[in-house]
Amino acid sequence: MSASLRAFTRRLPEFLVIWVPMLLSAGHVVVFTLWTTWVSFTPSTLMPTDGWVGLRNYTAVLGTRNWKIAFDNLLLFGFSFMLLTTLVGLALAILLDQRLRGENVLRAIFLYPLAVSFVVTGTVWSWLLNPGMGVQKLFNSLGWTDFRFDWLVNRDMAIWTVVIAAIWQASGFAMALFLAGLRSVDADLLKAAQIDGAGPLRTYTRVILPSLWPITVSVLVILLQFAIKTFDLVRALTEGGPGIATQLPALVVYDFMFQRGNLGRGSAAAVLMLLTLLAVLLPYAGWTYLQRRRAGA
Amino acid sequence: MTLLSRRALLAASAGVLAAPVSTQIANAQTVKPRLTAISQWSAGSDGAAITALGKKFEEHGGLWQHSPVPGFTTEMMNKLRAQILAGDPPACSQLKGPEIEAWSKIAPTVNLDAIVAAAGYEKVVAPDLARIHKPGGKWAAMPLQIYRTNTLFVSKRAMDRVKADKLPTNWAEFNALAEKMKAAGIAYPLANGGSRPDDGQKFEASLAGISPTAYRAAIMNLDEKALKGPEMRAAFVQLRKLADWMDPNTASQAYAVHLPQFVAGDMGMMIQGGWAQGVLLNAGFKLDDFIIGPGPSDNGKPVFLLNADAFIFWQRKEADLQAGQKLMAQLVMDPAIQTMYSQITGSIPVRTDVDLSGPGWSDGQREAAATLKAAVAANQSVLSLAHNMAQENGMTAAMIDVITEYVKNRAITPDQAVARLSEAVEGAR
Repeated sequence: MSASLRAFTRRLPEFLVIWVPMLLSAGHVVVFTLWTTWVSFTPSTLMPTDGWVGLRNYTAVLGTRNWKIAFDNLLLFGFSFMLLTTLVGLALAILLDQRLRGENVLRAIFLYPLAVSFVVTGTVWSWLLNPGMGVQKLFNSLGWTDFRFDWLVNRDMAIWTVVIAAIWQASGFAMALFLAGLRSVDADLLKAAQIDGAGPLRTYTRVILPSLWPITVSVLVILLQFAIKTFDLVRALTEGGPGIATQLPALVVYDFMFQRGNLGRGSAAAVLMLLTLLAVLLPYAGWTYLQRRRAGA
Repeated sequence: MTLLSRRALLAASAGVLAAPVSTQIANAQTVKPRLTAISQWSAGSDGAAITALGKKFEEHGGLWQHSPVPGFTTEMMNKLRAQILAGDPPACSQLKGPEIEAWSKIAPTVNLDAIVAAAGYEKVVAPDLARIHKPGGKWAAMPLQIYRTNTLFVSKRAMDRVKADKLPTNWAEFNALAEKMKAAGIAYPLANGGSRPDDGQKFEASLAGISPTAYRAAIMNLDEKALKGPEMRAAFVQLRKLADWMDPNTASQAYAVHLPQFVAGDMGMMIQGGWAQGVLLNAGFKLDDFIIGPGPSDNGKPVFLLNADAFIFWQRKEADLQAGQKLMAQLVMDPAIQTMYSQITGSIPVRTDVDLSGPGWSDGQREAAATLKAAVAANQSVLSLAHNMAQENGMTAAMIDVITEYVKNRAITPDQAVARLSEAVEGAR
């Protein structure tokens, strides 16, 4: 057995463990992305077919009210979900960081929603928010008969019910990341701040929060892809309704591909979603690259 | 004793050894018909009906291999798509409406013309229904059962509350009765679900009741002029009235959540498919809790909005599957089988010549079957949009988008809705 062969066999396990899954998953992502992009330029309906229709599928998708509503909703839902989840998560983390008794129990409670699937979250909230049987009914039957909380069936407000349920689901996750960040703030820094006479508020705003910046960015990026791929939550909570008021792009893609039997238009909608994601992620990648270069220099 | 059992053992093992040989001989003479089928019918009366059909298939010497795909129709279609892509389609699969023609273009189907002709079947099937099961003019699919989607259900107790004793026959009478119920303190005279097909059904019942001719031109033939015609506007005006009588708190729940209120007389009427009768009876309510009749029709002649479940037959080379397809086609054309199937599900038979006077039928089924016959004779049986009978799924969904948005949004005027509907049709073409 030659030396090089022996070296190869010794390294074979690590090769198999790392590279094979890497290539497979990269292959999956890249090949299917390219394939979907190709299908989006074909006249495919029930089955993928050859042919070239140029941008016709794109103009058709962009022309539907469904897509317009879905895209507006994505902006509204995406921004408010990311922002509010981050704020709620941060607030929970700061409160939990006060050396509370029973912290472990509370942390488990706040993290628990993450263990529940979006379908369950959506179904439960669809009961809670239904004016005929949920929160509104409860308050009404307790005697507060004027109480109104009918966002679920109000087409202007319905998208906010999706935001509420999504925040409930994801803020525990943001809390966990922030808590880890708070715990890793250098104790010397805190002592220095104390010696310099900074109060708790000043310590938070000037010392602790700035050091959480990298974690905040990670939280936002993870929440962003949560927001863009949101599908099952809406399916279970509102089914895209009332009417089509809570459509989101992922629902539109599924709808075109499998319910309307139009793979070409569904693929076009999927590519549009990818482009949206890239529009946010490419600047982020560039920014981290610059940060790293600056840190390295 | 020992000897006996040893002898029995010997005989048994000889039998086991001989068995494969004897089946081989049998196979060489005639193949045992076998049917691979997929459908979404796994539970409830649908599941019971298809299981009963399978038993009949086996009684006729066949081997029944049904794989239900429970859940949404979409999931069943995804499985069908995967099997077709893999070159292994089922011998037959559930499919309905214009999707039969669309799917028949992506894989070869069986030509059932000879079997249908031998049974003299075509003359007992409603012409519109026969047409959609004959892509390219050849029978490739078999309808199983028919439901009427514009069946009017009126709560007996709500009728008593307003002292009414006659079902409304046209929209003016319907509207008057609903107003009367509202005045008598029934907050929501129309019980409705929040789903897309529910809203679609209210629209199709409105338009077909106003003018079945306009319905045929606009919804079934997508005629541009008819889509912008005065009947369309009138249908949206009627739909707005219906929407105002429905419980706005329904969200995306099924119509069935309102059944207790409907029976109690706290909600007055329903415009539903005939299947609601089965759902009411399964929920423990009685036939005299409600009255069933045809949906309103303004020209005095009955209008039947038709929905039908069907099986499409995919080409297979195997002799046993081909024999199974032939047996299945013969079975579903058989009046006795159609009677059995419809009595389980609460639908009505596809054949217009089945006698429904027997004890296994309800008055509602008898009335629906008689209405179908009369509507066919008056050329007023039309295909349901909401249940994917009038158009392919893509076109249907685009139209229902407009309808469901209109139902949920009072700010959209009937004129805007007419314009949006014809735009949606253009966009989905």
